[in-house]
Amino acid sequence: MGMFAKDKSENAASGAARSDSDTAFFGAKLSIKGKVTGSGNLIVMGKLEGEVDLAGEIVVAAPAVLNGEIRAVTLAVSGNVTGTLTAGEKIHLEKSAVVSGRMNTPRLSVVDGATFNGEVEMKKPVDGAASAKRTEKK
Amino acid sequence: MAKDASSGTTSLVSRPVVVEGEISGEENLHVDGRVKGIIRLAGDLFVGTSGVVEAEIDARSIVIQGAVTGKVLARRQLEVHPSGRFNGEATAASYEIRQGAVFEGVSRMLGSKSQTEKSAVPAAPELKK
Repeated sequence: MGMFAKDKSENAASGAARSDSDTAFFGAKLSIKGKVTGSGNLIVMGKLEGEVDLAGEIVVAAPAVLNGEIRAVTLAVSGNVTGTLTAGEKIHLEKSAVVSGRMNTPRLSVVDGATFNGEVEMKKPVDGAASAKRTEKK
Repeated sequence: MAKDASSGTTSLVSRPVVVEGEISGEENLHVDGRVKGIIRLAGDLFVGTSGVVEAEIDARSIVIQGAVTGKVLARRQLEVHPSGRFNGEATAASYEIRQGAVFEGVSRMLGSKSQTEKSAVPAAPELKK
């Protein structure tokens, strides 16, 4: 590999090692402003401002700072989220989670130490990718 | 998970994901899905075979194995691999275009008179606590 490139394109080729994974990853030093949609799972450790609508599982891990509307099948939060969280199946807040806003989810678990300020509504989801993936009823 | 010892962390926009908006950061990014908008990285951008990027790009090294359309700046190197398709305006310090690659548009050398000044990578936006 890297026969022509001067520095063996080690930086560029590093990306080649990671492929065909269906779990998206937004690292701690990444900042996204806008809309994220699709399916599959996502791990966020950086900053995200806007809308997320994912037919999968989202893990918000510290030091993530999210701002906006987040929809997924399941949400596991141990970072900072401000806005609206909507889950098709469940939301889990870890000890280091700091959530401000609204949560819509049929199931909720909160670990001792988590911070939540806002409203929770627990009923069947209305619309979006989250409801399309609901496999369990009752 | 996506740790790379030599040049920092690499984030991933996986195949079933679409990002519309602005992506910026101090790390590398690997795109197997779709990105539309603006990408500004202090690190490298790698567009995989299934990746489709329609954006204004400012990155260190850019490797294209998928489809990229837009105005791109590769401060170090722009590589288009055999499966890659580039359409747009490119400015790079160095190019590597492999046999079979598609390159349609303008290519400029970084620092030459024909290249317009592009701003440096902005710092990540500060969000309210």
